[in-house]
Amino acid sequence: MTKLPSSKNNSQKEIVLELRDVVKTYNSGNVIFNALDHVDLKIYKGEFISITGPSGSGKSTLMHIIGLLDNPTSGQVLLDGHDISKLKETQMAQIRNVTLGFVFQQFNLLAKTSSLENATLPLLYSDVPKSKRDGIGLSMLQKVGLEDKLKNTPAQLSGGQQQRVAIARALVNNPKIILADEPTGNLDSKSGKDVMELFHHLHKKEGRTIVFVTHDLDLAKEADRIIIIKDGHITVHK
Amino acid sequence: MFKPSLEDLLKSSIRSILKNKGRTVLTSLGIIIGVTSVILLTSIGNGLKKYISDQFESLGANSVFVAPGKLFNDKGGFNNNGGGQFVSTTFNLSDVALLKRNLRPNTVIPVSITTAEVRSPKITKPDIFIIGSTEQYATGVNETPSAGNGRWFTKEEYDKKDSVVVLGYTIAADLFPQSQALGKKVIIKSKNYKVVGVLDKKGSSFGGPDVDSQTFTPLDNVFGITGNNHLQRILIKTQDKSDVPDVKKEVEKILLKKYDKDAFTVFDSSQLLDSINSIISALTTGLAGIAAISLVVGGIGIMNIMLVTVSERTREIGLRKAIGAYPRAILVQFLIEAVILSCAGGFIGILFGFLGSLAINKFFPASVTLSSILIAFGVSATVGIIFGVAPARKASKLSPIEALRYE
Repeated sequence: MTKLPSSKNNSQKEIVLELRDVVKTYNSGNVIFNALDHVDLKIYKGEFISITGPSGSGKSTLMHIIGLLDNPTSGQVLLDGHDISKLKETQMAQIRNVTLGFVFQQFNLLAKTSSLENATLPLLYSDVPKSKRDGIGLSMLQKVGLEDKLKNTPAQLSGGQQQRVAIARALVNNPKIILADEPTGNLDSKSGKDVMELFHHLHKKEGRTIVFVTHDLDLAKEADRIIIIKDGHITVHK
Repeated sequence: MFKPSLEDLLKSSIRSILKNKGRTVLTSLGIIIGVTSVILLTSIGNGLKKYISDQFESLGANSVFVAPGKLFNDKGGFNNNGGGQFVSTTFNLSDVALLKRNLRPNTVIPVSITTAEVRSPKITKPDIFIIGSTEQYATGVNETPSAGNGRWFTKEEYDKKDSVVVLGYTIAADLFPQSQALGKKVIIKSKNYKVVGVLDKKGSSFGGPDVDSQTFTPLDNVFGITGNNHLQRILIKTQDKSDVPDVKKEVEKILLKKYDKDAFTVFDSSQLLDSINSIISALTTGLAGIAAISLVVGGIGIMNIMLVTVSERTREIGLRKAIGAYPRAILVQFLIEAVILSCAGGFIGILFGFLGSLAINKFFPASVTLSSILIAFGVSATVGIIFGVAPARKASKLSPIEALRYE
């Protein structure tokens, strides 16, 4: 089952992020709606996990909780064993900065801004000194194969290249988890394949922890472990 | 430590401002216009003050004037009930003699003023100020014809009541448009006077009579014209500038023995200058205040464009928040953009105001002061902060989830 280089099973592996009995409730008018209904989930270090499910299943809500963009209504979110579910916005932002790397469907690169500057954007909000930022950005862009496009702006790049800049951006802070939300959704099949290759490479060769959110079950199957979410409940598939 | 650093914030703010150059210029225009007008108006005010104080300086800083009536109110401004002209008090030569006795060695100069028709062979000018005084008057108020334009009348001419006049620059040119006035005859009240001197052009002085169109003659000639020997002014020339306050007190003490305290005014040029300056200052402040309204309008323009910017860049804000920007970092980023917009406007406005003042200076006294530049810059920065806060707060409060979803 596992594609990890080491052949440990889950019980022996280190847990990076754990959701314990997480409930997320939305109030729309008089209707109370549980987007997540008592969800438990463990994300282990170095695993490639995909989350899939139909729209309205609670997939996005789960992603926001894992991405530390939202706090649960009840339950605990443990990062390296520490409960962070009650933290304030500013603290959450700082944790996101050093813990997570985001890859979005829409790339979300800054327009008229070079690849290098886009890639190093998270370092603006980190403790990494200015003198080291460009070096880190450069090595991450090399990793995604764009070392010859440092000065190019997003408009001068193809969709696949833009997404690779975004992946470089997700890597610059050496995150514990890379959270990719439909990263191939806006790409043609060739570019999509390249991006998936890149994720596999980061997972296998660098042991990165990747959480991959998609509605496409075929793509989801490329991961070590598939989480299917439906009506706010999750089922773990192997 | 605040992250990102100020340097990084400035860099990214400047870049995003430069992405919309046309919009930036239009947004700053309000501030540019406001600052330009504030600078121009204050520099005109300042120039006016400087011009007037120069004029008074030329009147002589060591002069004390005595005039009938109460000229000033208690606050140092001009008295607007009564005034100099409508009082019955007049001085006479016995007052001058009295002052001379008591104020030695200072010079006491009697002045009698009237208006009369002055005629040259071809031209008649009505209502000309005729100033009757002594030979010392010229040095008393720094009015001596320059070389080639004749001279002031002498002590001999004064003593002998000779029919001689010294003409102001304008009246000389008006009476003798084709030729030199010097040495010609003019007729005042059917009596011939010889022009012995023509004064240099002084320009009209604010708050005082126009020296250029006055005519000067020995005192007794004016007595002859008016039929009495009333004096409208007594001018005391002190030995030194520092004697002025003491002499003023002394003159008041002497005159109080003869006259009521509201019947006369003893003043020096600095006092007159202060009064005029207080009027100009009030005027300048008022006008600059009106101009400053456009700064507020400019500020609203900046707020408007910043709100648009925040909407346009919602996704960027969402992204920045997702990757670790906390609310205050976003707030400061957008605030800096607003301040840069208004300060750039302020800077250009100062430049325009400065150039405008230089241009105006050719026709009218204007001088830019450092304080007006600093105030204009401070005000535009403040406008940027005040009107930048609302959009920046809006940006900082966006939820990253909503912002990333924004289309």
